[in-house]
Amino acid sequence: MSEARDTAVIELTDVTKTYGSREVSVQALQGVSFAVGTGEFVAVMGPSGSGKTTLLGILGCLDRPSSGSYRLDGHETASLDETRRARLRRERIGFVFQAYNLLSRSTAFKNVELPLVYAGVSRAERRQRAEEALAEVGLAERTRHLPVQLSGGEQQRVAIARALVVRPSVLLADEPTGNLDSENAEDVLELLGRLHRRGATIVMVTHSDEVAEHASRIVKLADGRVVADERLREPLAVGAAV
Amino acid sequence: MTAWFENWRIAVGSLRANWFRAALTALGIMIGVGSLVAVSAVSAGAQKEVADSIRRLGGNVIKVDGEFVTVGTQQSASDRTITPEDAVAIAGLPAVTGVAPHQSIESLSVSAGRYQTNTWLEGVTPAYSDVQNQGAQSGRLISDTDVRFGRNVMVLGLRPAEMLFPGRDPIGRFVRVGNHEFEVIGVQARRGRLADEDLDNRLFIPLPIMTRVLLGGGNTVHVDVRVESESEIEPTIDGITELLRTRHNLPDTYPDDFSAEDQASIVKEAQRATTTFRVLTFALGGIALLVGGIGIMNMMLVAVRERTREIGIRKSVGADPWTVQAQFLIEAIVLSFFGAVIGLIGGIAATRSIATLAGWETRIGAPSLVFAFFVALAVGLFFGYYPARRASRLDPLTALRYV
Repeated sequence: MSEARDTAVIELTDVTKTYGSREVSVQALQGVSFAVGTGEFVAVMGPSGSGKTTLLGILGCLDRPSSGSYRLDGHETASLDETRRARLRRERIGFVFQAYNLLSRSTAFKNVELPLVYAGVSRAERRQRAEEALAEVGLAERTRHLPVQLSGGEQQRVAIARALVVRPSVLLADEPTGNLDSENAEDVLELLGRLHRRGATIVMVTHSDEVAEHASRIVKLADGRVVADERLREPLAVGAAV
Repeated sequence: MTAWFENWRIAVGSLRANWFRAALTALGIMIGVGSLVAVSAVSAGAQKEVADSIRRLGGNVIKVDGEFVTVGTQQSASDRTITPEDAVAIAGLPAVTGVAPHQSIESLSVSAGRYQTNTWLEGVTPAYSDVQNQGAQSGRLISDTDVRFGRNVMVLGLRPAEMLFPGRDPIGRFVRVGNHEFEVIGVQARRGRLADEDLDNRLFIPLPIMTRVLLGGGNTVHVDVRVESESEIEPTIDGITELLRTRHNLPDTYPDDFSAEDQASIVKEAQRATTTFRVLTFALGGIALLVGGIGIMNMMLVAVRERTREIGIRKSVGADPWTVQAQFLIEAIVLSFFGAVIGLIGGIAATRSIATLAGWETRIGAPSLVFAFFVALAVGLFFGYYPARRASRLDPLTALRYV
């Protein structure tokens, strides 16, 4: 156990990911190593095909590395089966997607409550936490609305509330502003910034420099490797709650 | 626990959202369950009818019939090969407790005033009522005196009583058979059917009138023999065969000029003929269930495909494979549950209509309902398993990219 490991939320060591068969294979990640500490806001950048979405899938335990080690909160995840990874997802990870990915037939409240349902949280607590999370993203008044009745920006904020409600170790965002106009994008980025300032650990994939500006650190990928890792500002004090 | 409740909610919600498709899918299950219920009700009813008619006809009865016999170019002169002396000789066999010779004309037009009907005339002695468990609903049956004095008296079966004397008491009135008039002295109590013969569509007159006056001669075709117990039936049939062959002087190369059969086995035999039909209908019910199950599988596969993205979302927020599998299994089971319930109601309704329209005896037993119900649930579970498994194995990232 090294010193760094104690405060690292995410620790990747020589992670590779190969798609396809042995004959025709694509190496999406070719040995990625980096760590994310508590309270960091990391932007992962790179051109399309550089492996950033693959990386986020692995970080979110939606996918497993072909080789290498991925420790989340100090626990090795590479060897876990689907059931255990599902458990990690609902207990330690909040995911925000470019396409929002809300259940269209469920209200904002039901969408936010969903991870807690799978985590087996009691009805009363689910209600309280979901309403808190929706208030946090400024949607306290719109809990009974269906996704179609909300604007794109509002839908993405519902998605962020859904990610926050589990009190995750890390918030993962995949092009969270990719489907939004500049005004709504700004709102969402401001929200992420505010969460960061209150101590949330965030990893965000983006191809836009403007969006990456909001982060405290930028990791650049190209052809499945880390080619740059620059710190824009110091991370916030360790130990602050989300 | 919470996830279970969520799964129920999802299952019911999605079936409601696609209610028409769900109803069509459940149709196969409904038809399957319905036909299983109806078939087993008809089957149980038929068995009950056999038991009832054996009870009504009286058990342990051997029917001995004289028959036409053709050997080479020679044919026996008459099918009435059984003489009154034969009947007496049979009565002397061990284990025999009653012998009732009787003679019938199987299709005959009779009339009473303006009313006329086609029926079956039977010449009997008092022994017949004893051996055949015959009772009087009103009036009296053929007595010894009627036989001895050759009285022109008649006992009516229920059906001719209705046809010839609608709404009137037939006793003391007259029925005309050809040139002869008979005074009605009684009406026979209900007897039901023996195989395809309606035992209530009968007229009974004293045997000597039948043989001597209407037909000429003294022999009869039929002798009903009652024995002490069921175990005596077979030995007595053998005894009668030996006795009659000897009395009729039949050479060894000649076939019997009579036949002897157990009456209850005639009833059972007749029922066996319908068994094939019932097995076939049962199989059709099973096939309907199978097809219904395939329908469920088909619909669930479509549902899994349509909801691939939803599955991806649920997985990404932490639904484990088993929870996703349970969600689709519950949907399949809820579907077959409703199919089964409606099928049960439909089956009971169908059974009622069969009972009314075809006049068959039916009997709906709770075990058959429970059986059909659980078979339907098992079909839902079985055919829902594969699609549910498929859903649970979807890769979350691929599922999320699915449009």
